[in-house]
Amino acid sequence: MVQPVLEWQAGRVTAIRPETRQTKSFSFALPRWMAHRPGQHYDVRLTAPDGYQTQRSYSIASPPERLGEIELTVERIPDGEVSPYLHDVLMPGDQLELRGPIGGYFVWEVSLGGPLLLVGGGSGVVPLMAMLRHRAAQHSTVPARILYSSRTAEDVIYRDELDGMAAADPTFEPFYTFTRQPPTGWTGYRRRIDATMLAEVMRPFDKRARVYVCGPTLQVEAVANALVQMELPIERIRTERFGPSGA
Amino acid sequence: MDNDQTDMNSALMVDGNAVAGQLEQIFGRDMTMAIARCAGCARDAQMGALMAFIRGPGIVLRCPACLSAIVRIVETPSATYLEARGAAYLRMAPQA
Repeated sequence: MVQPVLEWQAGRVTAIRPETRQTKSFSFALPRWMAHRPGQHYDVRLTAPDGYQTQRSYSIASPPERLGEIELTVERIPDGEVSPYLHDVLMPGDQLELRGPIGGYFVWEVSLGGPLLLVGGGSGVVPLMAMLRHRAAQHSTVPARILYSSRTAEDVIYRDELDGMAAADPTFEPFYTFTRQPPTGWTGYRRRIDATMLAEVMRPFDKRARVYVCGPTLQVEAVANALVQMELPIERIRTERFGPSGA
Repeated sequence: MDNDQTDMNSALMVDGNAVAGQLEQIFGRDMTMAIARCAGCARDAQMGALMAFIRGPGIVLRCPACLSAIVRIVETPSATYLEARGAAYLRMAPQA
């Protein structure tokens, strides 16, 4: 089957949900929806009245099991060209130009198996969430863990849903680390992700883990280098760099 | 390049996966799993894993091993330019 040519289409906003102070989730109904692979993204294009166009890529947060719609979780970059428009101007019922799903590299599906180690920083958790939602929708028992770095407790996206998934599924466990201000009474990690932390979280998986790392570029670099030094086979490590961190 | 500029450039780098949409528009298929052989160091890398610099007027994809520029893409109002002197070849599997 040859895939259809990638074309822009007008998505209609069906819901906007605040996730944290800096992130919102946007649901779009798409006239030419197709099932994506968890980890893929859509491009969003804005056109100004004078014809100036700009576009950005945003990871899909929803699983392919959600039919006819996609959800993108977007961090507001204060001096950005696209995200402030999405956050401050876009309303339910509005239309937005989108094309996708895009990318075959940073994807995980249940059929790829595990064990699965997801490592995310900030809004880098978004494509990882699509993988976890897909895994849950498929009732997969592939062992999975996520190591998720945030600045403060208020910056954790999807916290309730991650904890709910873990409560319902003994084969999934989330680990959080806070780099600036942990919640009061927090006894877990409170530093940037490092080799020691990765080794602890990965221990039950050993070197069989399939690892997906997504976040700010410098953090992804550090994690990927640590994994290579731990002699994890490089073909089991997939990275997606988001560029500079948001704020 | 001084250190601040080096750090800035590495912080702005993303993966080839980030320009998957532009590549797909040009090639008519997903290219992130296609292999690019670097003309500089002969190392193979999936295009989705190349180092991508996208904040300039065009897109530059570099080899993750030797940092040579493999592909440059510039879109103008009237045309798209793709220069791939830095690639010995691109290898893509038949589409399933």
